[in-house]
Amino acid sequence: MAKEMIAMLLAGGQGSRLYALTEKLAKPAVPFGGKYRIIDFPLSNCVNSGIDTVGILTQYQPLVLNEYIGNGQPWDLDRLYGGVHVLPPYQKATGSDWYKGTANAIYQNLSFIERYDPEYVIILSGDQICKQDYSDFLRFHKEKNAEFSVAVMEVPWEEASRFGLMVTDDTDRITEFQEKPKNPKSNLASMGIYIFNWEILKQYLIEDEADPNSENDFGNNIIPNLLRDNRRMYAYRFEGYWKDVGTISSLWEANMEVLDPEHSGIDLFDENWKIYSRNSGMTGHRIVGDAVVENSLITDGCYIEGNVKHSVLFAGVKVEPGAIVEDAVIMGGTVIHKGAVVKHCIVAENVEIGENAVVGAMPSGEEKGVATIGSDVKVGANAKVGPNAMVRTDVKEGEEQC
Amino acid sequence: MLNKNSEALGIIFPNSYDTLMPELANERLMASIPFASRYRMIDFVLSSMVNSGIDNVSLIVRKNYLSLLDHLGSGREWDLTRKNGGLNIVPPFSQKTSKMYGGRVDALIGIVNFLKRQKEEYVVMSDANLAVNFDFRALIADHIASGADVTVAYRKAGLPVTDADAFSSEEELYYTLKIEDGRVKKIKINEAGEGLYNVSMNMYVLRREYLIELIAEAYVKGNFYFERDILLPQVDKINIHAFEFTGYVVGFHDLSSYFKESMRLLEGDHLNALFGGAPIYTKIRDDNPTRYKDGAKVKNIMAADGCIIEGEAENCILFRGVKIGKGAKVKNCILMQDTVVEDGVSIEYAVSDKNVTITENTSLKGTDSFPIYIGKGQVV
Repeated sequence: MAKEMIAMLLAGGQGSRLYALTEKLAKPAVPFGGKYRIIDFPLSNCVNSGIDTVGILTQYQPLVLNEYIGNGQPWDLDRLYGGVHVLPPYQKATGSDWYKGTANAIYQNLSFIERYDPEYVIILSGDQICKQDYSDFLRFHKEKNAEFSVAVMEVPWEEASRFGLMVTDDTDRITEFQEKPKNPKSNLASMGIYIFNWEILKQYLIEDEADPNSENDFGNNIIPNLLRDNRRMYAYRFEGYWKDVGTISSLWEANMEVLDPEHSGIDLFDENWKIYSRNSGMTGHRIVGDAVVENSLITDGCYIEGNVKHSVLFAGVKVEPGAIVEDAVIMGGTVIHKGAVVKHCIVAENVEIGENAVVGAMPSGEEKGVATIGSDVKVGANAKVGPNAMVRTDVKEGEEQC
Repeated sequence: MLNKNSEALGIIFPNSYDTLMPELANERLMASIPFASRYRMIDFVLSSMVNSGIDNVSLIVRKNYLSLLDHLGSGREWDLTRKNGGLNIVPPFSQKTSKMYGGRVDALIGIVNFLKRQKEEYVVMSDANLAVNFDFRALIADHIASGADVTVAYRKAGLPVTDADAFSSEEELYYTLKIEDGRVKKIKINEAGEGLYNVSMNMYVLRREYLIELIAEAYVKGNFYFERDILLPQVDKINIHAFEFTGYVVGFHDLSSYFKESMRLLEGDHLNALFGGAPIYTKIRDDNPTRYKDGAKVKNIMAADGCIIEGEAENCILFRGVKIGKGAKVKNCILMQDTVVEDGVSIEYAVSDKNVTITENTSLKGTDSFPIYIGKGQVV
């Protein structure tokens, strides 16, 4: 039986601008919002939109991601026919190759898509925080009788030149594509989410692969080729929360926005559009003694005896008496010992912050750095980690890192 | 077989002691009473069995078991969705006569053909009225080493001080043991008195074939109760070995003791004593993390995911999805799943069941020994 639409999720990116956070795992596996990982968003969107077949293209540090996805059960994607499949590059009779670009990654898995014989294929990206109904996007694609559609966001004109822009006519048909132009003709930024008619996708991927000069990239090659041939291409305007969390500061900011759904528009409490994740299985969290918790998200397994203000704490975080946590993102299993002060920073999983250590600082003047500590790092007692530090290895007792 | 950790199958009686808890077990059974912010009583014994390598578990249910079926589903969360063994829920209608069973003998006779077909050498039996992190592997090993016919787990504890009538119904008896050199010499029913006793945990291990023999014989004689009719009269003939459990045990026999046992988790290291060992699994609900908004003030609480707290809470256990509105004051309360406490409410010493709403500015106050109970789905 053919599927109407299947999803291909690009999750191979290294996310090099997240530095210490993506040293051991791929960007889509980076924890987010107290109990999620970034990839939970596109996967939950798929299942909430009625897409039951998802191929996840992985390449960089896939172990954490593979284990996390497992059989797809947390997202209800363990299906008899379809479901979620992790697709790393593999050896073929004619040789083997790493994924050379986004288009090449899909090209190498044409036979996977072929198995489901879909009418449409949606290409998703594994590094965005966004709640989106893909069935509405498909409805648009069908209404326009399009061969290719791209989801776009209106961005402020002054920022437009940072994006790939879609220039459209008054029927939303795309007439031109500008990649990070100096003089933008449009403020419709591509979200990197595409719907293709399967036949068109296949044809252009095969053509692209045959071109030795191609970078095998959707933005740089496939979209220009579609334009060249005057294909029916449309821009679907998405209005809602969307954030590319490709940098430390945008990741930190998105986490802080989760704390304020009334204004930021990212509401994780929406019963009608749940974001699913693999559960920690820990007990309810405890708030003990003289602990003070203000304006924060606290997850199962946390044990709070200190002060937590405007922060996101993942499962199993311990905050000892007298410790102060403010404007911070503290990932699972991290322990903050007595008297430590942890502010305006991202601390990855299973970190230990020693007694009276200082990590990060509230912004002052031009100084707005988000201190970052990679997973499994030990910060010694009385150590100091400055607001611009990127810590990947243990910090000795009393040592200072800027 | 490689990695076959246990040579035992498990049997759980989820309805035992239902009648002691008329409030909480009114529309459910003992096994599905919510406990400790995100669990139900069944989670403890079921997880303990799974953690002890028992992957063939039968639950013989009697009545009111809808909530239990909903909670357990296919058993996936306990890793019991297996081709061989796994979770097996036996409803009353699977028995020859469609009447509900009385005692354990009655219940077991209904699955005797199933028992005959199994391969495990031993059977482990338990109720679901205790929250424990129990190592059944140790129990089985002790049983084998002792060479006894039956081994029973017990704990040293005080007797339930309660309205004696509560335990007077034939099904809800408690047993105390007189033990000499590790062997049970005498079994007493509903003993009364102060001080510590050897209280049976009603957990047994014995050879599967021996169990089949015992129940077949008892059934023919018209005996229904495993302890009262089989073990007690033959205590000289059957070698019953006693296994002491010294870990943290939660047991309750009325609403007031439920309240106390829940609150005891907020003291000292008790939470860790109960949960620190092997993991206790439960149904996943995919809640978001709990959100403390501006104005929230909390002291000594335990809260599951999915809560939104804007008011004050002190000495509380909050289950998944509880909401506490602005200016509300909640003290010494257990609020179960999706309870909504609206703005300005003041409430002390109360247990609210699932989906309760306490409307704006209401004031409710129970006492330590008589907490107020608000039934499922009620609007106050």
